[in-house]
Order: sequence, then structure tokens, then C-alpha cells
Amino acid sequence: MTTSGKDPALTSFEAVAGQEFDVVIVGSGVSGAVIAKQLGARGCRVLVLEAGSGNEITVADYEESVQRFYGSQRKDNNSAYANPRNAPMPRDYETRRLQPGASNTDGYLVQMGPLEIDSTYTRVLGGTTRHWEGKALRMLPDDFRMRSLFGQGRDWPLAYSDLDAHYRAAERELGVAGDVEDQQYGGLDFGPGYVLPMRKMPLSYLDRMIARDLDGMEVTLAGETFPLKVRSTPQARNGVPNPAYDEGRGYKPVGAVSTHQEDKGERCQGNTNCVPICPVQAKYDARRTLYAALETGNVQLLAWSVASRLEVDGATGQVSQLEFKTYDHPDAPGHRVGHVRAKVFVLAANAVENARLMLASDLPGSSNLVGRNLMDHMYLLTWALMPRPAGALRGPICTAGIEDIRTGAYRRHHAAVRYSIHNDGWGWATGSPYSDLEHLVEHENRFGAALRQGLIDRVSRQFLLDCMIEVLPDESNRISVDPRWVDQMGNPRPVISFGATPYTLETAAFSRRLSRRIFQRLGAEDHTHYDPLAPGYVTHDGEGYVLRGGNHWAGTHIMGTSARDSVVDSTQRSWDHPNLYLAGAGSMASIGTANTTLTLAALCFRTADAILAGLGTHAPAATTTGARA
Amino acid sequence: MSLTKITDKAGLHRHLEAAIQLEHATIPPYLNALYSIKPGTNTEAFHILRAVAVEEMLHLTLAANILNAVGGTPDLTVPGFVPLYPAYLPDGETDFQVDCQAFSRAAIETFLKIERPAEGATPGVDTIHKGRKRAHHNGHKRHGTAVRARHVPGHEEEHFYSIGEFYQAIEEGLERLHAEMGDALFSGDPARQITPEYYYSAGGGLMAVTDLASAKAAIRLISEQGEGVTDNIFDYEGEIAHYYRFEQLLLGRYYQKGDARGRPTGREVAVDWDAVFPIKANARIADFPEGSALRQGAEEFNRAYGDFLSLLTRAFQGEPALFVEAVGGMFQLKELYYQIMRQPLGDGTHAAPTYEIPHG
Amino acid sequence: MADMLDGFLALSEALTGFTGHRLRGTGQAEAYLTTATGIVGGGVMRDLLLAAEEARASAGGDAAKHEAELRRLIMSDDRLGPVARNIIRMWYVGSWYQLPKAWREAHGQSPRDQDHVVSPISYTEGLLWPAIGANPAGAKPAGYGMWAMPPRIAPG
Repeated sequence: MTTSGKDPALTSFEAVAGQEFDVVIVGSGVSGAVIAKQLGARGCRVLVLEAGSGNEITVADYEESVQRFYGSQRKDNNSAYANPRNAPMPRDYETRRLQPGASNTDGYLVQMGPLEIDSTYTRVLGGTTRHWEGKALRMLPDDFRMRSLFGQGRDWPLAYSDLDAHYRAAERELGVAGDVEDQQYGGLDFGPGYVLPMRKMPLSYLDRMIARDLDGMEVTLAGETFPLKVRSTPQARNGVPNPAYDEGRGYKPVGAVSTHQEDKGERCQGNTNCVPICPVQAKYDARRTLYAALETGNVQLLAWSVASRLEVDGATGQVSQLEFKTYDHPDAPGHRVGHVRAKVFVLAANAVENARLMLASDLPGSSNLVGRNLMDHMYLLTWALMPRPAGALRGPICTAGIEDIRTGAYRRHHAAVRYSIHNDGWGWATGSPYSDLEHLVEHENRFGAALRQGLIDRVSRQFLLDCMIEVLPDESNRISVDPRWVDQMGNPRPVISFGATPYTLETAAFSRRLSRRIFQRLGAEDHTHYDPLAPGYVTHDGEGYVLRGGNHWAGTHIMGTSARDSVVDSTQRSWDHPNLYLAGAGSMASIGTANTTLTLAALCFRTADAILAGLGTHAPAATTTGARA
Repeated sequence: MSLTKITDKAGLHRHLEAAIQLEHATIPPYLNALYSIKPGTNTEAFHILRAVAVEEMLHLTLAANILNAVGGTPDLTVPGFVPLYPAYLPDGETDFQVDCQAFSRAAIETFLKIERPAEGATPGVDTIHKGRKRAHHNGHKRHGTAVRARHVPGHEEEHFYSIGEFYQAIEEGLERLHAEMGDALFSGDPARQITPEYYYSAGGGLMAVTDLASAKAAIRLISEQGEGVTDNIFDYEGEIAHYYRFEQLLLGRYYQKGDARGRPTGREVAVDWDAVFPIKANARIADFPEGSALRQGAEEFNRAYGDFLSLLTRAFQGEPALFVEAVGGMFQLKELYYQIMRQPLGDGTHAAPTYEIPHG
Repeated sequence: MADMLDGFLALSEALTGFTGHRLRGTGQAEAYLTTATGIVGGGVMRDLLLAAEEARASAGGDAAKHEAELRRLIMSDDRLGPVARNIIRMWYVGSWYQLPKAWREAHGQSPRDQDHVVSPISYTEGLLWPAIGANPAGAKPAGYGMWAMPPRIAPG
């Protein structure tokens, strides 16, 4: 991206404390960035608070994250990012097996169980899109009507069709590469003639190998027969622009976030590292949107500042001001406390942090549902060796999946599921290829040419199929806070209580059976095994499985039709506090089998419209420039 | 190769063949400098050089598209296509030679000459040749270049002060021939075009060339990305020309919009001229001990480079889908560069690719 | 250290199955020799290189014999084997792994003997990935769309 060559200025504690803005947004991830950009473009004066570093806007700073990843022994999904003690983030390796009734307070998250969940999020500029994989699937129309259609979960207060225009806006903003023709299943409807901004990522050699033998295999579920097919996965990653996009106007991919002349951000080069960091910025992350927001001249960014308390006027329910804590050093104790006022407040800090902040502010909601209905996808991993080298560890992490059974009548009985074919081998399940190297050297006693051959036989043939399983909203799955557990700054840490229901587990069992059939059909050697000592180990009908978290935290400020049974309305506005919006996946009433980012981005476009309409003539379009410190 | 004023299609083909050769001739010097930067250091310099090298690849492809459009046949495999460095540029710029050398001030100064604006556009450039030269070949000896002369006796030979002027001559030739022949000039098979789906960089896309307008657009893109033909540091798309990109490295500061030439006011560009493999300038296979693994490695590089040019040629000669693989070949070559450049020769210098491409 | 480098490279060729040219081409030979020597001590490293030299000499160019000699003199040796295996893993993924407890108790402890990446670049220079025609995650990509083609698994 070539620009004016000027660095966007961050604002300072001094410039902000005690001031009033049109809108204050907590969090610079995709939700906050989309809303900030939309409002900034219409002349609203916006302040964005970011708990983590603000030093992530230039390519040089970005390179530091890439180098940090290279130098990390544990290459977990937050390994590229500094983890400040003043605004810590969860790490998946902090999760451990819990004894019944015990809790794990070692990491940032306090885990109460019964199921240990290894999901994380990233407290850094751009939020968790920094480490997201970039899958950008839409939810299915059925997913919005779970109660009406299947007698399970909840209906949304809006329909798929109400979100279609916002899905399109999100697909443009995120720069989705994919082919609509590959998405013709499960009632998905993109509207006539619609194409995505960029053409699909080429399928990997492994995808093609699998498709050749698998396509056409039939699965019967609750009396319905589904023919399986390997389909390209839409993803927010720069590829080949589709000239037919936007009624023939085409699409110009957005390159790297940079204040200087850069060649980065061009097409995906196949670094196989979408998570935790794309070294060439081919993958969308929310800094792109945030940068555009800052470029409007109306949006200010205050980094190293953790929102700590919302203060509410008891008479009106309006949020009167927000307390925040700004730290100077990422790790050393010490911070300043400030307040800001605004016409509208937006919490866009993700489903866990939004709930944590509400509860820390003693605002559990008149429905008492803040923090409840916590959802995340449960991943069951299955893995095998293909009959011959399949080119593992190349390309984007996933380029294709099996989508055909994302919905069906079976959802009356058990959860929906989709499957992704992994180009990155068994890494997620086994720690491959490091574990394979260890095995070959330390146990098979190989060296020299025999070692090289062993790696070809054992790594290049790897095929991991992840089974992404829907989780329903359940009030007992929740985020809470507890004065016993606070971080260094004194902010309460999120306390997680989470369990898997038979509705989810039945699909885990079904998926394990299906993966066996798939491996049998491919002639692949099944190496799947589940360690009873691993976190996430569960049993169902006498069989054990390990469930992994999907980092798709949702539901904690759930959307509905009234203040009695929900926290926000269909625009993400709080029922209790008319000038407060809770934005992000926390609002979602179901998560179906789509990664949450595209849907939550679509919701945030809708929210921006609602905020603009609410501000109405109050939006002071004239006082726009010069607002940046 | 000698160039004379374009009066017929054959002359146009010769110019476009020279253009392809010219675009390619910049790539080895740029890549040697780029990969001599020790990985992980000089991040900003690395990106500036890489961005330019990527765009030279784009220009090469655009030139091939134009040649294909007018019924020519791009061929990057003819002996002598790759010059032996040091070399004069194939557009007849005779006042300097191009070395394949390590990232250094001297290398950047040479790159400034390669990308220099049309004569007179930039103060401070030593102008040896005034205006576009059209002189009879004076027997000027071209040391080291492998560009084969195809002198046509009795014609005025063209020499150009800048790449921009060279392309201007091509554009004039295209217009002249188009005025004579009409659209019959564009007799090439459109299926040979490398279309945008195969390539783009952040700095602008590839375009298919099928008529005069698209040919002129392609030339405009090449010229503007190079040295800027509009007297501006940034082009109409807000992109900074190669000349000024390089100049930032010498001046230690980024240009931003509104800056005067030679006086950038943007953020500092930190350059560590020492974090560089001290590669031997214009290395030859003969510089490496016979029978050594290093020599084998350097020969392997030359074969791989030759394979890369062959693949590009096939892509340009009717198999455009191979272009993806050819670009992939460049990614593979990068590793071979590093493997060679990390090897000391024992005289204080390190080895470097030699570009002595085997034929046959 | 410089006098040990050639011996270290010769040993590393035998252990990794990559040529000396390819190993030198990673630029990591000095860093790995320094890392290993710093942790296990000069005495162990010298003995390891001597054993490797002896294995080479007694094999006289016979590959099978060379392998057997390496197993006899190094891989099955309590003191040298774990170090050799660590050197292999360093070349392959750029990380040093803590030596086994028994080794540390018998042959000495070092504060640097912890799991760690030798340097950010040593990770990217890991040979595991080229051994299977792939790239280390986050570095050395093959370019757009190249993942659609079969892996190029090359010798060397």
C-alpha cells in the first residue's frame, strides 16, 4: 500500500483523559475497526482504545512480530505477539487437564471446567485477526432459525436475508477470495450474479488428491443422504482479483499496512503460517481497516490503555463515562487512570473481554445474561498418512473443506459440523513436524539418508481433517469475574466455566466414524488417538475424544427480541443502556459451522448504520479534521 | 544488438526484443544486491530493492505481452540473452556499465543510472550524452557484454540516454506503424497474453495487450514505475518511481508527497551498509575451485536460472499457465542465492551467482 | 573454534544426510558449533569430532561401514550419542533441546541447556522442510499457487 508516507499519530493519555467524543470504542480488532471506519468516514469523532501495543502500524514493527515468531520455541497461536503483563492474553499451552472440581489459575484465564478449553485471543492492535486463519464462510440461513427449525438453541432476531447486504460489505472489507459456485450447498444464497472480490485460492495438491477419491461418497444422516465433495474454502487472503466483481468494476486488493512504499500484501505466497502471523500480510487483519479509519482524520487511537469500568447513570441507564488505565511499560507495575465521555460507547473487545468489562462494572444485565451462553466451536481432530507423499506443510493452512453436511434435519438430534482439510500436516494434533523429528531421531535411531527418507514417509504424507462442531448457547457455560483473581493492574481476570453437551458429543462420535470411512476410502493410514490425560478429553458412549477450542468465543452478550431474554437487540445495542453497543461474536445467538469473523464483521456494519442513524443530526460532520493528536 | 529507427515490423520486433533483454538485464544486478543483504537486517532496504525487482519482472512480462501482440516471439533462451556482467544495457546507454555486486552505495548509484529520468529531468546527474543520440556506430568497444550485435549497415544506430527515452521510441514506432497498417499491426494470438490473473504486485497489475491503447498503457506503466516520466516523484497512482525509491537509501530518508527532488522529508530509512555478504563483484565460475562443492552449487544455480528462463519462454510462447510456476521458480532461486552467497572464498569476498547460463 | 568447523561440518554431513555445501549454505554452521560446544564443553565436542574422523577413516569410503562405525563410536555412546542427536535436530529445526537427565548428571550441566531456538534465522534455515520439498512455516514460501503442484523432493 503506498500512501502519503506519513505515520498515523497515536494519541496520548493527556490528550484524551477528561475529553468527550461522539463515540468511544473499546478494542481495535475487526469489530472496533469496522465501526470506527464507518463512523469516521461520516465525520464522527471517534476514540479507539487498545489494551495492547500501538506500535504495530508500520511494516518495521510488523517484522518484529515475525522475528518474534521465528525465535519462539513454542510456536503457539500468540507466539508472534508481545504479551504485556499489564494486559495479558491467554496462551493455549496454559490449559491443562483438570481434576474434577479443581480449577486452573495459572494463565490469564481462570478455568473452572468441567471441560478445559484451549481457546485464546490476542490483545494487540488489530485484535485476534492478527492470528486468525482467514476462513471467511457465511453462516447458513438455517443457522439463524435453530429453535424454529430444529427445536434447539435460539433463533436470531434477524434472518440471513437481513444480513446479506452486510455480508457483502464484510466480504469487500476483508477481501474474500472464493468461488460462489463452490458454495452452493445447505441453502446458501449469495443473490443472483454475485461474485466474491477475489477468485478462490488454488486447491492444494493434497486437496486434489483427496477430491479424486472422495468426491461422491455418500453419508446418510437422519434419513437424508448427502453426497460429499471437496470444496474451496472462502478466505480473507489476497489472491487473484475477480474482474466480474462489483458488476464488472473489479476489486483492488488491499496490500500491507504500511506508511511507506512496500511490495508486501500482494498475493498469498504459501507461507503456511496464516496462524499466528502471515509474514507478507497477504492475509487480512483488522489493522487494514483501522488504518483506513485513522486516515479519515476523525479517528484517534489510544494504545496501551485497558478499559476498566463503565459508569452508568442510575436514572437513565445511559453510560456516562468510561474509566481506563494507561500503562507506560508493558510489564512493570504502574498506570494512570483516566475517564472519557461520549454520546455512544461501543465495547468491541471480543466476547470474553466485553463480558469481563461489563461484569467488572457490576452490569450483569437485567436478564442476568451477561457472560452467559458462552459458545465456541469444538474441534475434533482426526489424522492419517496418505498412501504417498502428499506435499504436506505447503500453501495456506486450509484451502478446501467438506461442507455438505453443515445443515440437515439431523440437527434436531445433534450438532452441525463441517470439515477442513489441513495443508499444515498434523501440527495442531501432535506437534508435528517437531514430534516426528524427535521420534525418528530419538526412537527410530535414524540419521543421514535414512532420516531424510523417514521424514518424507512420515511428514509429507500427513493429512489432518478437522471436524468443526457447533455448540449451542447454554446459560451454564459462562464468563464471570471473581475478586480473588485479578491481573497486575487490578482488573478482574475472566473466569471460564464450560462443558460439552451430548448434542455436541454425538457429532464428535459421528465425525470420528466418518473420518474412519474417509480414511478407508482414501487408503490412508489412520493415526488418530486421544490421550486421556490431555485437556479437552471427554467420553461419550464409552469412547474417548479430545475436543479443542476454536478461538471463536461467542454468545456472552447474546442477541434477542427483548430485555428479558437477551442482552442486545439486532443492532447490538444494549437493552439496558441505550447509548451502549456490545459488538462482536458475543452478540451471536448461534454460531453454526462458520468461523465467526465474517458474520461479526457483517453485524458491525449493521451496528455502524444504527449508530449513525441514532446520532442523526448530532453527528457534527464539520468538526472533522485536526482531531488527530 | 544495434537499434535503428523503427520503420517496419521487424524493427519493432527488434526493439521489443531489446526491451525484454533490457528489463531482464536489470534483474541479476538487483537480485545480487537484494540477496547480499544478510537476512533479518536492513529490512527497509530489502523491501525497497525487492519491490523494484518484482516490478522489473512485471515490466519484462509487459514487454513480452507487447511483442506477442505485434506477432513477435519472445525468447529468453537465445545464447547471449543474459549478459555477462559488467555489461552495458541493451538500449545503448554507453556511459556506464552495470556490475553484479553486493548491496552498497556504489551499487545503488549504478541503479540510479539504470533508472535515471529522461535527460534534463534530474539535476545533479552527470549528463555525458545530450539528448537522444542517433549516431553512426563509432566502434565503441563494449567490454564484457554478451549482447550480440545485429548491426544493420547503413542505418543510423540509436543510443538512448534513459530507459524512458527508449520506450518513447518504441511508442513512436508503434504509432507510426499503426498509422500505416491499422489494427493489422496487432496480429498476435491473444491467447499468448499473460493476463492479470497470473501476476500482480502491489505496485500495479499486468495487462493484456491487444491494441494500440493497451500497448501504450503498458509502456506508460513501465516508464512511470521506472524513472517517472512526469517529473514527479510519485506517479498518478501515488506510487513512487524506482529512481526515487533507490535515492531514499542514499539520502537516508523516505520521500513523502509534496517533497522536492533530492530533499525527502519522511521518516528516516536506517541502512546498515555492513550487514551484507561481501560477495565478489561480477563473479565467474572460474573463480571457484575446480571440483569444489561450491563450484557445483554455482553451476546448479546457473542451470536453475536457465530453467527459469526456459519456463518463462514457454509461458510467453503460448503456455501462459506456466507463468505461475515460473514465478515459483524465482522463489526457489532465492534459496540458491543464499546458499552461494554465504560461502567465503578465502580472499575476504564471498561467492555469488555468475549467470553463465549453459545452452544446449 | 575455527579449526573445529571443518570437522563439525564433516560430522554434520554424515548425521544429516545433506552435503557440506548445503549445510554451509544455511549460514548456521558456526552458530550450531558454538551453541553445542558452549553447552557440552570443548572436551566433549573434540572427542565427538575425533570419533567422527575415526569412523570416516576406518570406513574408507564404504557407506554401509561408515554408518556402522558412526553407530558404534558415536550414536550408541552414552556421552557422545545424545550430543550427536541434538546436533541433528539443530540442523533440522534450528532448536537446541535439553540433554537427557542422565547425561546432565553424568557429564555436566549448563545454564544454556534448555529448549531454545538458536536464533530466529536458524529456525528459517531448518533442513526438515527442504527435506520434504516444503518451507518452514512463515518463511521461504514457494510462491502463489505452487501448493497445487506435487512437492519437489530433491536430493542434496
